[in-house]
Amino acid sequence: MSVSLFKDVVKPIATGFGITLKRLSHKKETVFYPEQRREQYPRTRWRHFLTRYESGLERCIGCSLCAGACPARCINVVAAENTDEKRFSPGERYAERYEINMIRCIFCGYCQDACPTGAVVLRKNFELADYKRESFIYTKEMLLESFPGEADAPWVGEYEEVK
Amino acid sequence: MGEYKLLLEHSHDPAYATLAGYQAKGGYAALKKALGMERQAIIDEVKASGLRGRGGAGFPTWIKWNGIPKDKKGKHYLICNADEGEPGTFKDKQLMETTPFLLIEGMTIAGFATQGDAGYIYIRGEFVDAAKALRKAIDEAYAAGLLGKNILGSGYDFDLYIHLGAGSYECGEESALMSSLMGERGMPRLKFPHVPLPTISGVWDRPTVINNVETYTCAPFIINNGGNWYASLGASTKNSRGTKIFSVSGHVNKPGNYEIEFGTSLMDLLEMAGGMKGGALKACVPGGSSVPIMNAQQCDGAIIGYEEMAEAGSMVGSGGCMFLNEHTCIVTFIWRTAQFYANESCGKCTPCREGTKWLLQIMERIRSGGGRSGDIELLQEVCSQIDGRSFCGLGDAAAWPVAGAIKVFRDEFEYFIEHGRSIVQSAESARMLPESPVVAVS
Amino acid sequence: MAAVASETVNLVINDVEIAVPKGELIVESVKRLGLEIPIFCYHPRMKPVGMCRMCLVEVGFKQPDGSVRKMPKPQAACTLPAQDNMVIFTDTEMVHRDRKGVLEFLLINHPLDCPICDRGGECPLQNNTLFYGPSTSRFIEVKRHAHKAFPLSKYVTLDLERCIQCGRCVRFTEEISGDSELAFRFRGASMQPSTFELRDFTSKFSGNVIEICPVGALTNREYRFRARPWDLETKPSICLECSNGCATWFDYRVNRLVRVNGRTNEAINEEWTCDRGKFGHEHYNADNRLTVPLIRRGDRLEECDWPTAYAAILSAFGVGGDKVAMLAGSSLSNEGAYLLNRLFHRKFGSANVDYRRTAHTLPPDEAAGNAPTAIADLELKPSILVFGNSPADDIPIIFLRIRKAWFKHGARVVVAHHGETEADSFADVVLRYAPGTDADLAKGLVAARANDAAGVAQAAAACGVDESRIREAAALLGENTAIVTTDSLLNSASGADAFRALRQLGGELNRYALGANDQGFADLGLVPGPDGRGTAAILAGCADGSIESLWLAGADPFAFGDRATVEKALEQVGFVVYQGTHKSEAMGFASVVLPMAEPAEGDGTYVNAERRLQELRAVLSPPGEAKAAWRIGAELALRVGMAKPYFGAKDVAAEIFTQVPAFRGVAFGDRLN
Repeated sequence: MSVSLFKDVVKPIATGFGITLKRLSHKKETVFYPEQRREQYPRTRWRHFLTRYESGLERCIGCSLCAGACPARCINVVAAENTDEKRFSPGERYAERYEINMIRCIFCGYCQDACPTGAVVLRKNFELADYKRESFIYTKEMLLESFPGEADAPWVGEYEEVK
Repeated sequence: MGEYKLLLEHSHDPAYATLAGYQAKGGYAALKKALGMERQAIIDEVKASGLRGRGGAGFPTWIKWNGIPKDKKGKHYLICNADEGEPGTFKDKQLMETTPFLLIEGMTIAGFATQGDAGYIYIRGEFVDAAKALRKAIDEAYAAGLLGKNILGSGYDFDLYIHLGAGSYECGEESALMSSLMGERGMPRLKFPHVPLPTISGVWDRPTVINNVETYTCAPFIINNGGNWYASLGASTKNSRGTKIFSVSGHVNKPGNYEIEFGTSLMDLLEMAGGMKGGALKACVPGGSSVPIMNAQQCDGAIIGYEEMAEAGSMVGSGGCMFLNEHTCIVTFIWRTAQFYANESCGKCTPCREGTKWLLQIMERIRSGGGRSGDIELLQEVCSQIDGRSFCGLGDAAAWPVAGAIKVFRDEFEYFIEHGRSIVQSAESARMLPESPVVAVS
Repeated sequence: MAAVASETVNLVINDVEIAVPKGELIVESVKRLGLEIPIFCYHPRMKPVGMCRMCLVEVGFKQPDGSVRKMPKPQAACTLPAQDNMVIFTDTEMVHRDRKGVLEFLLINHPLDCPICDRGGECPLQNNTLFYGPSTSRFIEVKRHAHKAFPLSKYVTLDLERCIQCGRCVRFTEEISGDSELAFRFRGASMQPSTFELRDFTSKFSGNVIEICPVGALTNREYRFRARPWDLETKPSICLECSNGCATWFDYRVNRLVRVNGRTNEAINEEWTCDRGKFGHEHYNADNRLTVPLIRRGDRLEECDWPTAYAAILSAFGVGGDKVAMLAGSSLSNEGAYLLNRLFHRKFGSANVDYRRTAHTLPPDEAAGNAPTAIADLELKPSILVFGNSPADDIPIIFLRIRKAWFKHGARVVVAHHGETEADSFADVVLRYAPGTDADLAKGLVAARANDAAGVAQAAAACGVDESRIREAAALLGENTAIVTTDSLLNSASGADAFRALRQLGGELNRYALGANDQGFADLGLVPGPDGRGTAAILAGCADGSIESLWLAGADPFAFGDRATVEKALEQVGFVVYQGTHKSEAMGFASVVLPMAEPAEGDGTYVNAERRLQELRAVLSPPGEAKAAWRIGAELALRVGMAKPYFGAKDVAAEIFTQVPAFRGVAFGDRLN
């Protein structure tokens, strides 16, 4: 079987590059991640936050309903009692420890559904990769908003957003 | 028909409260006669008399007396329910203060008929005068050998004790009264068919007869004159015999106790009490605050008798007859009634404990102008969830006035809810309103 | 509870005919058909009251013509005794409506703070609301407010907002524990259970009200906010805080004990616990648990491995004979005690082993047959004599049985003790004798039974009890009497004499053990033989140098004698092995420290006061390198070449069953021979 230079070599290459050339005029779908990133769907569920009331008090009352609802059993809550001197949340009870194992978590959002005070919410921050397994145990300090409303602040931060 | 003074015949005579005065008027003849009779014969006389309990329920008295075991195996007790707490009723107070010996003689007869060892008169805590009068009378009776060991040489022993209540309406309920008498918290106890009747196992688990003051005081007359004579009184009614004392109060010219023969009409009773004061008749609560309220049409032609009043839409109850004139705001009246029951609920059972307070809270809201559409239905629903579901009759008694008033005076409730004020807007009615809540309910 | 006669009656429940014992409560009868009636206030072990109205059913009676006449009002099934021709409806529209109504009433003033309530998740109010309740409330008024989380006692928190006034707690203190510390205050919607003037709730059985509370009104202060029910794992256990051996549930979370609940065992505790058992297990979580073996180097205890520790011990105890001794602590399992006992007798050639902590002891022939009366049989005794002890302190669950015998079956109770006891409140006769005159009173009772007037007079003079009281008490006693004494009687100088005198009184004489497995040690023969030394002699031997090595097997040495004696003994003895669960003062004298697992951290069997053999399977794993007692014994046995290796406590138990006569042919849960 003989090989034709034009038919078997030049023509396929030209056809292939032809498609590439044609696509150059199309609108680009890729973005320069991480310099750029997309707006996500409104109900996207990624990283958990523990929110605060306007007063700064934690919403979480340490009731463990999230842990009970969690199908992956990845939430651990240890509750303790508020005192007038050390008050974390309104009422009698607060979460002394609140840990989510992010490797186990399947981001189903049941914890958010189960929460009676709207304390645990899943937001759009999906950049959860890390180098060590231990780093995936998110502690209460990591999950808790540093100020009321932080969880609802735009997630993009310093990066440019693609419209 | 009409007024018939049997129990109250000598009530105006201070001497009647002394043993000498009582005996001068024929007192203690009945006891002498009874002690010579067979025990069963006494009960048969009471059966023939058709006497029914005067405390409110109208249960035939002879059945209670007859239910006591004839073969005595231990102590038998008698209790006189003198914890007269029903708003509007004050007949027992007068009976105890003016005719104490009638009660003592009646209880002794009942005690003899039921082989009773001791009788307890459970008097409402506030009735200090009545207790004093009875104390004096009992001491006199003991001194004369009419109480204690070997009464009148018959060999029959009977002791009578006075026990003052501590101010709980609930203790007028017979089983709660027994709890209270035994030193327990005044809460009702289980009743038949859950446990045996009190005639088998009552106070201290012994056979017990418990009757109202007025019921016991009828006994001497029945023994003296015979059951059939007593039954001839009120013969015009279906099944109510004898006389009944009505405590007439409200907007009448001459409030007070009136003893009438069964079969008298309600309007005649109003007539005896001097007719309405300050306005036309609007409503009547004929038997104490717990019975359903009647409007003027229902009152007109109502005949006093247990069955007859039921037909007219209410009850004889304990005879606390309140007549209300046209300036009365029914919503306020019912609010005040609800307040009473919420305050007096003993707290034992859920429907009464929570329901009476809820009723009061709804009534308060309506009265303060916060009524909502649907409140009437809610009140009715709550009433139906209490009525018949509570442990004792107090729940029913709290629900009936509210449900009854809504049935008869629904327009007044609707008006109050819609306008935030009473349908009655006369100066007279404003004067009648309580200045502040009479009882604070926490 | 209504008396249940042997005759049966025919009921119709929801069109199904069923024969039930006459007088049985309807709420129980419907269970026979697999139906359920929701309840709050009803508790099978207490008198029914019909307060909550949750169990309303429609009731009718079959008429001669076959029709059914319904009663006009619904009836409470929890108080209604079964009668012939009764027809019960549990599934009608009216019943459903009434249940909804009652639940709506209960919830209008309930705070609904389930997420932070310790009862949430195991709450009868939640469950009944889910199954029978309305989905919404029409209540828009202000709820009742009360003090949240009021500390009723060291152990119990009261939240009045959550209370549904069912009266279970009040009835428990009136009917079961008998202290009547709780009562209702106020009335109507303000009614609330409380102690008198809100004083401390000091009942010795206060923990039970937490378990029987159908809502989260009474909660456990130790368990407060520790876990939710779905966080918990639960395993059956037995309580080893005293000799009663109550059945319990151990609830743990991540290998940490969080609470103890009563488990039903009709033979022992029914379902109750005492506060010591319910709240006394915190030592499992203590910070001073021993986790590694320690060995003394100079004046310091240093960590070492097990082989080093074993080698040191075996070389020190190698002298054997009379020069070594062992004192055993009461929570050692049968297996651990058996192996160490065998080690001492067979390998060390020493009979110096003992467990008894009483000041005096009975000679072996008198000590046998301690507990002829089973705990459950106490209930049916016509009369009970409590002698020389306070049962609520010594044997709390047996105290509840004694009280039940009086409360439910009308037993006549005589209490003889030098101090006040809880049992005085229901005793027919209380004999308060001068301390130390136990034997005089016992002899007086015997004299009174024999109509020996001089003897009674002499005893009365000696013990300071009225003659007539002694006669009164003796008149109540008979051949069927159960006499309840405990080992604490032997702390009195005349206790042994008293015991001998009581034997002549007739009836069943019980000397219940005090420590968790003391009875097991007695049956295993963990006592000095004829040539061995008892507790006092061992301590004396340590002090005078005749004993060189002392083994403290799970034992706190200071429980065995007065402080000076014990300290002197520990100071003088050359070598002390401290085998224990916690760091303690005795470690200061130890040459080797062996970390031991707590009972529930290892398998083991135990014998309770009534000689019932019970098995405890490991619930938790031991901390660090700590080992169960049987394993320490087995490893030592292997090291000295005594036996084939044991693979588990079961192997040791199997050997006990063949080797120790009292255990022969006994199954777990049975009483020893």
